[in-house]
Amino acid sequence: MGYLILYPTPSYGVGYLLTYNKNHMKKALLLAAFACAQLSAWAAPTWQIGPKYNITFSGGEVGGIFKTLKGTIAFDEADLNTSSFMVSVAVASINTGNALMNKHAKSADWFDAAKYPEIKFTTNKIVKSGTGYQATGTLELHGIKQEVSIPFTFKAAGKTAMFNGTFEISRTTFQIGKPSGEVSDKIKLVIAVPVTKN
Amino acid sequence: MVKKYYLLGAVSGILSAVASLIYQYVYKESLGADFSGIIGIPAVVGSCLTGGLIAATGYWLLEKFIKKHSEIVFNLLFTILSFASIVGAFAMKLPLTVEMPELFPGLVVPMHFLPALAWMTLKPMFVGSKS
Repeated sequence: MGYLILYPTPSYGVGYLLTYNKNHMKKALLLAAFACAQLSAWAAPTWQIGPKYNITFSGGEVGGIFKTLKGTIAFDEADLNTSSFMVSVAVASINTGNALMNKHAKSADWFDAAKYPEIKFTTNKIVKSGTGYQATGTLELHGIKQEVSIPFTFKAAGKTAMFNGTFEISRTTFQIGKPSGEVSDKIKLVIAVPVTKN
Repeated sequence: MVKKYYLLGAVSGILSAVASLIYQYVYKESLGADFSGIIGIPAVVGSCLTGGLIAATGYWLLEKFIKKHSEIVFNLLFTILSFASIVGAFAMKLPLTVEMPELFPGLVVPMHFLPALAWMTLKPMFVGSKS
């Protein structure tokens, strides 16, 4: 009887090992444990999102914030290859400062919060860009996935740090609302996320 | 007579301000929605007093130009304007730090009717009724 063991390799691919007896099995487990230990040693440190984050949007005469952000942030300035963001924003947490506008924004005419409750961003790569960094990844909004690049800065002070980013998206690309009107096509997003090292 | 109108306007303004502040306190205690940073005591007293004094001016002008049905016209106008003014409460954009803007109209809409209510309640004591 053989055992098929999948284990992560140091090059972040997935290798496999086929063993046929108990001794081989033990060796394989040790190897897998070693590989996992190496992997965790090389992975970027993870950061916990602090409570005082701020996600502000503005476009034309409309502006507001999203109040709920969650996700996983792994970031190491010295090792961007292992850094990644996987964050989501709750659409229902939108606040424009006006109850009627909030209700309208959550309706099927705009974000359709019932059908698409989350805005998700997952990075594919993070690179150094000027004095800051650039995160390129998939933004899923209103059920549409689009690759976007978000420039950001990272300032660490001991175990705490702050991510700041500003970028624009086209709401027509994500089919949010009607193309014309008081809300401009380009929506500016300003993000400030304080984090604490885990 | 004009003095009586303005006295009525001022007293009904103060009375409606007191009623508004009591309502605001009860609202905050029962629902946990504190909007005192947006409509504080000076704003409540100021707008109620202004409402009362504008009503006094309006009543005086109607008395001057429409003598026969001035009271009926005034009461209708005061009620309609109070009702129309609630649009402002729904349209108002609050600071983004306010957690529950949905509860704001529930606080201020009743306040918009209090000056008219106070005026109509106190008027017989100051001017007397024409009917």
